[in-house]
Amino acid sequence: MGKTMTNRDEPGCIEAGILENALVMIAVMEKSGTILAWNQAAETITGYSKEEVIGKTTIWKKLYPKKEYRDSVTKQIATILTTKKYFENFETIITTRSGASRIILWNTKESTHASGSIVVTVGQDITRLRELDAFRDSVIENANVLIAVMESEGKIAVWNKAAEEITGYSRAEAVGSRDIWKQLYPDSEYRRTLTRQITEIISTKSYFANFETRIRTQTGETRVISWNTRQIGGDMQYAIAIGRDITEQKKAEEALLAYMTEMAMRIQQPVGIVRDNLLDIAQLIRDGKLSSDEIAMLLDAQVRNAAQIASNVQEFQKAILDKNREIPEAYRKFLEG
Amino acid sequence: MALIVNPDELARKRIFLVLATPGNIRQRNIDLIREVSDLGYHTVVITTNFPYSILSKLYGEQGIDLTKVSFIDAVTRNSLGSAEEIPGIVRFINNPANLTDMGIAVTEILKERSGQKVCILFDSISTLLIYLSSPNISKFIHFVTNKLRLMDISGIFLATEKGLDPMLMNQLTTFVDTVIDTG
Repeated sequence: MGKTMTNRDEPGCIEAGILENALVMIAVMEKSGTILAWNQAAETITGYSKEEVIGKTTIWKKLYPKKEYRDSVTKQIATILTTKKYFENFETIITTRSGASRIILWNTKESTHASGSIVVTVGQDITRLRELDAFRDSVIENANVLIAVMESEGKIAVWNKAAEEITGYSRAEAVGSRDIWKQLYPDSEYRRTLTRQITEIISTKSYFANFETRIRTQTGETRVISWNTRQIGGDMQYAIAIGRDITEQKKAEEALLAYMTEMAMRIQQPVGIVRDNLLDIAQLIRDGKLSSDEIAMLLDAQVRNAAQIASNVQEFQKAILDKNREIPEAYRKFLEG
Repeated sequence: MALIVNPDELARKRIFLVLATPGNIRQRNIDLIREVSDLGYHTVVITTNFPYSILSKLYGEQGIDLTKVSFIDAVTRNSLGSAEEIPGIVRFINNPANLTDMGIAVTEILKERSGQKVCILFDSISTLLIYLSSPNISKFIHFVTNKLRLMDISGIFLATEKGLDPMLMNQLTTFVDTVIDTG
């Protein structure tokens, strides 16, 4: 206690200048916790000035006002210091003068000085970084597409909530190994085919787009996934795979195809019958075998037939719509006429 | 001219499915009536295609004895809205889709003709497709063929060739004894 460091004091003006102008928070203190130096970044980050801090130990209570948390931090520091004289990348949350929380990544170094041992503490404000991390994690976590980040050879590093929901396999089951792929593609022949196709695609470009596969979920259900991948990371050591569950879309497409086929049958035959009847009536008229009343009655019967065909088509459209609510909106509008 | 249905089979109360091209189906109807009438049968024509009045006129022009033909007409009332029944000659049903009424009419007319040589001619299954789904047509034909067998009566069902979906065609062939494609 009682020692303070200024620009004019040891360990020298240059070092003091560096300390003062560093972009990270630097606190020099005695082993007891008494602050000897408190740079400008420390003032900016915490909101506490040099005058309030230097020569005292009270700053720590201010930075960690909640006793429970402060005790926890103290305990962690004590544990670290039992094995080494410094700590690295130790993360705490401080409370600033304004009451805001900041996340600080601490690194310390003990230095023996002529006037005794001092501890140089460097605190990096990583609040923004953590916010970005949290934002990214939140985007990944809450995306309604399956997101898997893979390390080399397909080992899973990230497995989001949608991945859990779509596949039925939890994060704990997926992360840390590549076994998940065998579970999703249990048929070895199909797996081999996919691997070959993926290898072929990757050999020409480092990603694939809209690559459709059929996975088997944990409950044994088959789902169709459309995959898009990208290489990520500083040296491209990761791959991110984004899988969109297109099972319902496929079903809707198949329903639409079935609808078109059925409609062709349901319209073609009856329309053919009406056509043949009209041809027959025309022939009878040409042969002079029908009176005008009879012609009217026959034509009226064909009108009834045509009206019934139109009604059938409408009923069929309604049935298709009721049956498959997943039909895309554009198709639905088309079906509704 | 060669006969369409074998008289021996008809005598054994067999049930036939006769297929014809759309252009020929009306003529096949007339040919069959003539054949069956010549064999001494009274024919009950169930028509879903042409009204009884026109069919009977066409039959008359072709020299068919109209006393040997009676009708269940599913067309006239559907077109005109009303028509008076003529006992022993014609019964009307309101709509080809009204299978209950059609079934009742078949049952009653067969009772009326009990003890006579009767043959049913259904013209045509294809037209029913406008009004009914394939499964319902199949059920109705199954009902009629069962009725015919129980009452020991022969029957002929007319349909346009290639006018039925394969599944319905498969089912119909199991209900009838003989399928005849007349072209």
